Amino acid sequence: MTTGDRELTCAEVRDRLPLRFYEPPAGERGDPIDRHLRHCRACAEEWEETRRALAAVRAEDAFPREGEVDWLAFTRDTAARARAAAGGRPVTRVVVPTVRRTRPWAAWGGLVAVAACLVVVMALRRADRPVPQQAGSAPAPGMAGMLRQNVAREAAARSLREGRALLVDLLQAPVRCRRGDGTLDIALEKERSRDLLRRLAVHRGALGGPQDGRIADLMGQMESLLLQVGTLEDCTGPHSLDDLRAAIRRRQILLRIDLVTRDAEGGTSRA
Amino acid sequence: MNPAPGSCVLPVREEGGVPPDDFALMEEVRHDRDGAFEVFVARYQRRLYRLAWGYVRHHEDALDAVQEAMVKIYLARASYRPESHPFTWASRILANHCLDVLRRRRVRPAESLEAAQEASPGRELAAADPKDSPERRGSRAEFRRRVEQAVATLPESQREVFVLRHFEDMTLAEIATVRGCALGTVKSSLHRAAAAVRDRLLRAGVRGDAAMG
Repeated sequence: MTTGDRELTCAEVRDRLPLRFYEPPAGERGDPIDRHLRHCRACAEEWEETRRALAAVRAEDAFPREGEVDWLAFTRDTAARARAAAGGRPVTRVVVPTVRRTRPWAAWGGLVAVAACLVVVMALRRADRPVPQQAGSAPAPGMAGMLRQNVAREAAARSLREGRALLVDLLQAPVRCRRGDGTLDIALEKERSRDLLRRLAVHRGALGGPQDGRIADLMGQMESLLLQVGTLEDCTGPHSLDDLRAAIRRRQILLRIDLVTRDAEGGTSRA
Repeated sequence: MNPAPGSCVLPVREEGGVPPDDFALMEEVRHDRDGAFEVFVARYQRRLYRLAWGYVRHHEDALDAVQEAMVKIYLARASYRPESHPFTWASRILANHCLDVLRRRRVRPAESLEAAQEASPGRELAAADPKDSPERRGSRAEFRRRVEQAVATLPESQREVFVLRHFEDMTLAEIATVRGCALGTVKSSLHRAAAAVRDRLLRAGVRGDAAMG
């Protein structure tokens, strides 16, 4: 803060007080603000008010419930959840170890609604496509579970196809930004990728059958690519897409999505 | 008083010889070395919680956002490029996630603050010292509400700088590094944020000495 030999005015000093709280002078005897505060009572009072107000702002006041969290447990749960997501295992929502306010009526209402939907879906499926039972064999284990997995598999395949279309759009038909500097406007694709990421997370959580490993693996790779899209600027340079292009080529993800989704659809229609 | 010395994040335990440098740690995370991601989470989770809280202004939502962002970070770790600081990268992923949350809520942040406060009635009293008189508990709760509002209503970039400097005790140079911007930008954001917080508290008649009690 060099002002030469010129004395600071009151307005100049007051303007610098908030930052001074965080950047105090390093013991310089000639600090112009110090000099001013020694002689100007009004500014000295304002400095004292500023200092006291900012010093009183403590984390426990600004984030009053942060202290309720068991951060060690949070670390452990978060890491476990991330690994489960990466490994293609069902992503279960981790209960954060804090006191949560629950609404029991809402939970019960939700359960009843889900159960009613399942019953309707099962009834419709049975009416449309009766599953042949072999004589003498035990009843198929978990018919409802099978149906749920078929539905989840179809939804996952649909999301993968949308992801494939998004990647193709992004790489083959980019729109230029209005800036005229050759950058590409990918704001829409980013929005679509965020939306798709949410749905992928939901569908991955619903998969769990032994034949779902390939889909889950592909969904994991798709998530990784979509996250890469999400980290790009809205107006991005053409070279920023090179990494993405290379990753897609390396993983042959477009071809693999074709194969896997065709299999999933075939499997579902056979079921 | 140096900014909130007692309120800073607890030092993260570095375990198993994981290098303390952020870039080196991120490299370990990228290669999925044993325990590296846990250290990464432990190091950034509270900073990210405070940033998330600034967006969503709801305790549980902020925790959820941090956890979701950490999962995304882990899944996308291979795409990290060391041109940006790992915290910058992590905070951008978190910010995108929080904006999605807000979009889904379809309410303005100012309204959600009120909703959050209504959703947790009595939390100020729960946090107060039971030995305090009712008047003092009331003024303490009022002070907390003012501080919450003062910090929460700062514009995004100012709030981030303010939180990192005031609560995390990071130097301005460190903040400039992790945010990937010029030191002058950090200074001006901090200046505006601190002035706004001070003015808001003083306008509401909140004096530091009364609050510290």
